[in-house]
Amino acid sequence: MTRIMEARAMHKSYGQVKVLEDVSFDLEEGEAHVVIGPNGAGKTTLFRCLSGETRINSGTIMLNGQDVTGLAGWQRVQRGIGRSFQVARIFQDMSAFENLIVAIETRERNEKGIWASFGHIAPRRAVMDEAERLVHELGLEGTLDDPAGTLSHGDKKRLELAMSLALRPKVLMLDEPTAGMSPSDRSEAVRLISDVRARYGLTLLLTEHDMEVVFGLATRLTVLHHGAIIASGEPHKVRADARVREVYLGQH
Amino acid sequence: MMYDIGLTVFNGLAWAMATFLVAAGLTLIFGILHILNFAHGGFFMIGAYVSYTVMLAFGAGLPLWVFMIGAMAAAVVVGLLGWAVDMFVFRRLRDVEDAYSLIATYALLLVCGGAVQLIWGLNYLSVMPPPSLNSVVFIGDVFMPTYTIFVILSGVVAYIGLELLINRTQIGQLIRVVAVDPWMARLLGLNVTRIYLVTVIFSFAMAGVAGALLMPNQSLSPELGGIFLLQAFGVVIVGGMGSIRGAFLAALLLGMIESFGTYLFPQYPGIFFLLALAVILLVKPSGIMGKEQTA
Amino acid sequence: MIDYRVRFRTNLVIAACGLAAFAVVPFVANSGLLFLAGLVAINIVFGLSWNFLFSGVGLLSFGHAMFFAGGAYGMALITRHVPEMPFLLALVLGAACGGLIALVFGVVALRRASGVYFAVLTLAFSELIHILITKTTFLGRNDGLTGIPRPVIELGFGTLNLTSATAYYYFIIIAMTLVAVMMWCFQNAPAGRLLQAIRQDQMRTAFLGTPIQGWQLTAFVISGTVAAFCGAVMVPFTQIASPEIAYWTVSTQPILFTLLGGAGHFWGPAVGAILFGAIDYGTRTMHGLSEITVGVLLLAVVLIIPGGLLGLLKRRRAAASKSTRAETAGERTSETEAGK
Repeated sequence: MTRIMEARAMHKSYGQVKVLEDVSFDLEEGEAHVVIGPNGAGKTTLFRCLSGETRINSGTIMLNGQDVTGLAGWQRVQRGIGRSFQVARIFQDMSAFENLIVAIETRERNEKGIWASFGHIAPRRAVMDEAERLVHELGLEGTLDDPAGTLSHGDKKRLELAMSLALRPKVLMLDEPTAGMSPSDRSEAVRLISDVRARYGLTLLLTEHDMEVVFGLATRLTVLHHGAIIASGEPHKVRADARVREVYLGQH
Repeated sequence: MMYDIGLTVFNGLAWAMATFLVAAGLTLIFGILHILNFAHGGFFMIGAYVSYTVMLAFGAGLPLWVFMIGAMAAAVVVGLLGWAVDMFVFRRLRDVEDAYSLIATYALLLVCGGAVQLIWGLNYLSVMPPPSLNSVVFIGDVFMPTYTIFVILSGVVAYIGLELLINRTQIGQLIRVVAVDPWMARLLGLNVTRIYLVTVIFSFAMAGVAGALLMPNQSLSPELGGIFLLQAFGVVIVGGMGSIRGAFLAALLLGMIESFGTYLFPQYPGIFFLLALAVILLVKPSGIMGKEQTA
Repeated sequence: MIDYRVRFRTNLVIAACGLAAFAVVPFVANSGLLFLAGLVAINIVFGLSWNFLFSGVGLLSFGHAMFFAGGAYGMALITRHVPEMPFLLALVLGAACGGLIALVFGVVALRRASGVYFAVLTLAFSELIHILITKTTFLGRNDGLTGIPRPVIELGFGTLNLTSATAYYYFIIIAMTLVAVMMWCFQNAPAGRLLQAIRQDQMRTAFLGTPIQGWQLTAFVISGTVAAFCGAVMVPFTQIASPEIAYWTVSTQPILFTLLGGAGHFWGPAVGAILFGAIDYGTRTMHGLSEITVGVLLLAVVLIIPGGLLGLLKRRRAAASKSTRAETAGERTSETEAGK
């Protein structure tokens, strides 16, 4: 297996508060790597640092063998990551279809340069077709023309996933993809994510709360506690790990 | 050389305190309501015109107490206008985007300018300072008009008064609580709407007084609002939005920069404070007393 | 699904109707009204350039006068000092002056400031330029640059004489229509969609792999260039470039147009500029009345009808079409799309 993302000795603090201390983290190609941990363990901060939403105070982050520590989020996206947010971020006033058009056109702009679409006003035929294909794949047919802001919670999450897929990323980073969902929606979401992963051959990095989701998706599990990694490995081994049991069972 | 420096410092102080008189109310409203009030300049101007009218009624060569009555009248009239503005405008801006509330206060400024034109006309009007303030004092070689000294002292008094009001009184404490966390204040049973109203009336009354006190220096015209407004904006922003102490220090800093700049390049008055404002904003957008945003 | 072709055609028709309406003015109005109409036509595009920033990418500018004045003074300087330069090239260079100001200012300001800070920074910078103009002899100080001639354009097969006010008026409305249509196309093209995305959610757009600041700067420069073009076109019409056009009240004009007409619609600033011109003309004998009227209207727009005039119209039409939706389901899409 090749290592697609490799972070070494990351430190991150907000003011006086140290959130990540000496965290090293790997992502192997093709795995579905889930980061778990109690509230306040630093999952979301780790996610932000890896995706480039905030910069780390010290340490290095490599992506595909390139040092991306100093790069902003958009530059890391151009180098092959795609991400979602805990509360789905979409373009509220555009229709779901236009959301996808924007995502696809952005990818094309990055691939072919900004003059590729020069002279066109409407999206090109190929872009429209691709958007339609994504709509069908993710089951968004019924909501195509509605302003995205009026979609249901689950549809917003699916739309955001579709937008991330439109970028054709190598690594897909999902921050609590099932947060706020009902149990039935959750298993639906797990099925969708593992479908997508298989079809696109994606490497997944997730943070998650829900154990059903965790064991439904993970090929590797990392446990974060007080800003440090206390265990990492195959899910059943992590489940048996003494310190993990202590953290989870001792506290609750 | 010493003479020039003395005079330049004196001019800088005059600029600073005149601007602070206008900026004080502005920064107070921003601190509490988070509205950057374009209309402040307009109400400042109305204060000047009201006091002009009062002084006109008493005739020429007025003693100081008539001048002060003019200032009182301006405070009352503009304070009442503030009450109306809070009831009909500010209260409805709570849920409006920043850009739109900025534009709404600009609309109010337009209305003020139009009202002044309708009531007082387009002509330039002017007033002499009261005779007791219309002399000069020499300190060393430096020639100081007593009126300008009066303005500087007024600024200092306003600053000290505000600091005491905010930090030493009960209403000041309430204002501070509401400024930090209106939601929590409401939860604790404070009448937040009333505190907003009091703040707005007080801030407007200050605009009125500032207009009245600074009037003798200017020729009154419907454009007066805009001139002081930009200076006051600069002071409020450089001071760190909402901080009284910051506004005071920023007024001194910008006043000195403006004054020394104009001394060195007399052909470009009014430019150095803008340059300083731009540079400071670019280096530290949150102002000299502002907290850095975490985001 | 969105029918992009219908949308394009509808807006082309709107532009053509506007052009036709303005073209009739010289036949029915006196020279004073003709002058006003010419200024309104320029103001429409000035307003569009501002709303391109505000609604198009989400930047609030209180300093558009600096671009307008940049274009006007650029044009005036060229006509006075390089009279042999072809007119159209001079216009382009005038517009480029505004673009250059926008580039210099934008590179510095966009990096640090956002929201209200950005607005005040534009205000301060614009006032700086105003003061510089009034203190610089080369730019005519408080008197401005006067006596700017209207052009005679040499075309290969003949000459186009624009020295009369009416002839130049026609040049204005044609030029403004072309620029307006070009702006519509840009805003509805992929780049415009991306800018719109940036306005709605910067973070999401960044994580689609887009350099936000670069695009904001691009939009800022485009807006400044178009505003400067308006200034450059105006100078031969009024035959003077005076410092008043750099004053901050000029910066607030396009804000008024846009909000009155409706910020959410491409043609909002056009409706607002025409309305504003009408109010100004109707109250010209009463000093102060126009400010009060416009101020009260603007307050009403912000507090009661956030969509402006066109927003009001659209809301009523949506309510009307709701009742007849069953029969006219097909037409409705093309109707509501017209505003986009």
